[in-house]
Amino acid sequence: METLNFLLSGFAAAATPANLAFALIGCILGTLIGVLPGLGPAAGTAILIPLTFKLDPTGAIIMLSAIYYGAMYGGTITSVLLNVPGEAASVITCIDGFQMAKQGRGGTALGIAAIGSFIGGIFATVALVVVATPLSTLALRFGPPEFFALMLFGLSLVTGLAGRSLVAGVLMTVVGLLIAMVGIDPVVGAPRFTFGIPELYDGVGFIPVVMGLFGIGEILITAEKPYKEVIKTSFAHLLPSAAEWRRSAGAIVRGTGIGFFLGLIPGVGAIIPTFMSYITEKRLSKTPEQFGTGAIEGVAGPETANNAYANAAMVPLLTLGIPSSPTIAVLMGAFIVNGLTPGPFLFQERPELVWAIIASFFIGNVLLLILNLPLVGLWAKILEIPWQYVCGGTLLFCILGAYSINQSVFDIWLMLIFGIIGYLLRKLDFPIAPAILGLILGPQLEKSLRTSLEMSAGDFTIFLTRPITAVLLLLSVTVLVVSALHLTPPQLREASED
Amino acid sequence: MRKLAVSIVLGVAALATAPVMAQKAFPERPIQLMVAYPAGGSTDIGARILAGIAEKAIGQPIVVINKGGAGGQVGWTEMSRQKPDGYYIGFINLPALNTVITDKNRQAIFDTKSFTPIINQVLDPGAVWVKADSPYKTLKDVIDAAKAKPNTLRGATTGILSDDHLAILMLEEAAPGAKFRLVHLVGGAAMLKETLGGNIDIAFDNVGSIVTQVKSGQVRALAVMDVERSKFLPDVPSTKELGYPTVISSSTRGIAGPKGMDPKVVKKLADTFKAAMADPEHVKKMSDVGLAVKVMTGDEYTKYYEDLHKKAIKYTEWAKKEQK
Repeated sequence: METLNFLLSGFAAAATPANLAFALIGCILGTLIGVLPGLGPAAGTAILIPLTFKLDPTGAIIMLSAIYYGAMYGGTITSVLLNVPGEAASVITCIDGFQMAKQGRGGTALGIAAIGSFIGGIFATVALVVVATPLSTLALRFGPPEFFALMLFGLSLVTGLAGRSLVAGVLMTVVGLLIAMVGIDPVVGAPRFTFGIPELYDGVGFIPVVMGLFGIGEILITAEKPYKEVIKTSFAHLLPSAAEWRRSAGAIVRGTGIGFFLGLIPGVGAIIPTFMSYITEKRLSKTPEQFGTGAIEGVAGPETANNAYANAAMVPLLTLGIPSSPTIAVLMGAFIVNGLTPGPFLFQERPELVWAIIASFFIGNVLLLILNLPLVGLWAKILEIPWQYVCGGTLLFCILGAYSINQSVFDIWLMLIFGIIGYLLRKLDFPIAPAILGLILGPQLEKSLRTSLEMSAGDFTIFLTRPITAVLLLLSVTVLVVSALHLTPPQLREASED
Repeated sequence: MRKLAVSIVLGVAALATAPVMAQKAFPERPIQLMVAYPAGGSTDIGARILAGIAEKAIGQPIVVINKGGAGGQVGWTEMSRQKPDGYYIGFINLPALNTVITDKNRQAIFDTKSFTPIINQVLDPGAVWVKADSPYKTLKDVIDAAKAKPNTLRGATTGILSDDHLAILMLEEAAPGAKFRLVHLVGGAAMLKETLGGNIDIAFDNVGSIVTQVKSGQVRALAVMDVERSKFLPDVPSTKELGYPTVISSSTRGIAGPKGMDPKVVKKLADTFKAAMADPEHVKKMSDVGLAVKVMTGDEYTKYYEDLHKKAIKYTEWAKKEQK
């Protein structure tokens, strides 16, 4: 009950006109940062920290947190409308979201994303209030071996993304992993596969690759076809239909769970909950073949997961002082620079501050919903512009975004090269999402593996003797075996029956 | 004709004044301050505090960017390749930078001459710590355990050949028979997570990273690797008083730029940062966080930089022997 008292007084503090204004500004700025590709939430938040020096600490933290989860939502807008993911967490939304937009249901996609995000965020914040401390200590048990197993499990789920050909899916995953090997070795420090090109020392840039494969690739494919009719979006279709609601409801519930639990583990990264949610929905769906052509669950689930993740990822920071991701680390820097050190100390010393911040998460989620739902219609209007102009605009947008990362022309070239690769992959009907998964998980996988072996002095049984690791590895093997059995080509099955 | 002549005269006049204006006008756009470690670590925190104060004086934003990886090598590689125009500067951590240069395996594309030292900010002594409910209550406990079960106790560093790595080697040298199983993590935040989570037994880091955690009771500091106690951790013994006077290790963090910077720009940056470091806000914030400020500029810093490099060659030999 003491918690409830704290929370109520937190609301009182967070709902002052000044703090409400900060939350609103944060949400708007965050959405804008999410929409602009290249400028990720980490960089955007960092740049805006000096703005907050003039504010009192509570106001500053409220604004910066709002920017952080606002950015999660902003990335969705470009994913759905232009097939250009604003940042890592929005990649998976492109797959079905963009298809929905092409069918004139872009507004619906954005609408369900907003609603799902709201539900995910609110639930995660409620759960944060109730179970924060005990769960976060549990999450600390996720050491390098568990991470390795989790990443491997994530990779094994790629079989669910494979579409018609399992072999193509696995192939693309391996290609993604190979691309991830380029750069300076994370443990020893020697450069690999860089061919002496200094820009590759930090690895092949993720954002240019993704923008190229998805955004530019799509433009090239569209350019091939004859001119299309303008897609009309009807306002009546902005909210999902009853049938779409039913299909999305389950996805939202599961997405919230997946996002929340993964958010508690420091270091997981926003992209994994979205992929897991998507694959879970595809497996549980009665119509899996619809995924990839505009299934609404393919948007509802991942979007909910990523917002639940974003809110839950604040838990390790607030309870233990451990930042979960680069963006949250920047937020932590902001805390410290404002004279507050996150961790159990802060909870004890300044509970009123921490609870005001938690209360502002609730408020921020509500604000985001209010901000974004009405704007959905406006955003969807973009799709009514003749397609050739949209493509030109997208190209410009992508080039600016790629350049804005490091002020380097190399990134633009990288994006264009991957754009051509993306075009070829589509022509050859190879799935692109598995490659992205490989590219993201590769470095983490390698670091976790090598650190685990350092911990065990080279003994591989560490992966079998730790319970969580062993379970996750077993699950990975099971998933792979089951997929292999299910997807035996019909001809082979018939042949073996003879 | 008249108009053309006037325009030409004005144009030439404008061009003539341009170089003068350019010199006076540094900086004309935001300055990037690179930190070679992930955000949230103590170098990063010190950088952000300093940047926030210095940018007000210098009139342009100073943006802290993180380029972590390979114990700092990724960030320093990047910096060594930037234009020395003063708009891209970064933190160099000594002795980490020195060991990256001297270790042939790292194939570093830079050396000591690749950087222009500007000013030092922090001298953070090394510290040995464990989580609060660890069975080890003193440094002696740790060393006894490391001797009893060599190569079993997992000791973490914030990166290969970092000052923490060298500190462990120094300890092993000073306490023969004690052997730790080295685990190289990336950055201080990872070390906190893994130690609190029980995946690491002993953590070797610096005072600045743990002051607040010691105060909140999450971790227990066993020793400070300096000739005297740290004013931020007055209850923690120094290695000298514990009988290990050779185990002295620290991490210095200072700002440098790529080689070939204009001395006037260097001076302007050094003066700005020096004033910012003397600012009461800087003093207070750094003190709150537990980072000991030691300002060094000009020749003093350059000499420190070069002397440390000579020592680094010796330390790298040790580390290589250990790695076999």
